[in-house]
Amino acid sequence: MSERNTNEPVGAPETVQYDPESSRYDVFECPDCDNVVLALGRDDPPMSCHEEPMRRVTNCDIAVKPPDVRQVLLDAFGLPKAGLDICLCVIGEGPLSANEVAEALGYDRSTVTRYLNKLVDIGLLRRAELNREEGGVVNVYHSVDLERMRRETLIGFYIWAGEAAALIEEANLTKQDYMAENPDQELPDVFWESFPDD
Amino acid sequence: MSVLRRDVLAELGSRSDADAGTWASVEVVADSLALGEQTVRDHLAGLESCELARTAPDGTARITVTGEELLALDIDEMMIVDSKTTDRGCAGGADL
Repeated sequence: MSERNTNEPVGAPETVQYDPESSRYDVFECPDCDNVVLALGRDDPPMSCHEEPMRRVTNCDIAVKPPDVRQVLLDAFGLPKAGLDICLCVIGEGPLSANEVAEALGYDRSTVTRYLNKLVDIGLLRRAELNREEGGVVNVYHSVDLERMRRETLIGFYIWAGEAAALIEEANLTKQDYMAENPDQELPDVFWESFPDD
Repeated sequence: MSVLRRDVLAELGSRSDADAGTWASVEVVADSLALGEQTVRDHLAGLESCELARTAPDGTARITVTGEELLALDIDEMMIVDSKTTDRGCAGGADL
């Protein structure tokens, strides 16, 4: 009996298959080089490479794990579920106090403040300082415009995905180079040593 | 159409003044928004917790300087007011 990953949503498929007919996204490849592109919401005609239209990928044999949105947001933006909850729970309902948000979500007040500032750092919220009648200031956090938020999160994720794809490609090249140069030595150690921990 | 807390703040802002110390009747604010007085009082309590409004025992309320500055930002999107920070320039708050 196999062990189940407790982080996986119940009932989630174990793998996801690329379906070029789904229209959710498209993957294209160049028949003449290694260029592969991911297109979301593209318009016809498809992009070209070497002055020729790229070819839509219609099959992929490797099994892919379905992404979990919470893990994606954490990995790509360093935004845990609490941060997303804070971002989502009050859209259209403000102004709310940080205490009200904390009570509504069941988080500590300090957690709310911490993630409000994290959301500002990521670029999903803006912060303004307002004067208090008794002196000093209060911070007001407000969302960026929704269209801008859509653009920033999508492009931000593409940058993250590009970094991940570059790592995978680097790993493939490293493996090829190593096998060519060291045919009689163990591959795993040298392979991981080429990706030192931070 | 439901009336949001920000609508109550805007109405209060048009009927009171922080600098002049002008207060508005909750009843008048409620009538102008076609709301019950208790609904307005509930919104005012929330605005007071954000330091955006003040209420008095005599049934009047006024916007604060903070509330006026918030309206001047002309923000339609989500807003959270974190009043824990008291010193200008310490945007991260005491928790960080």
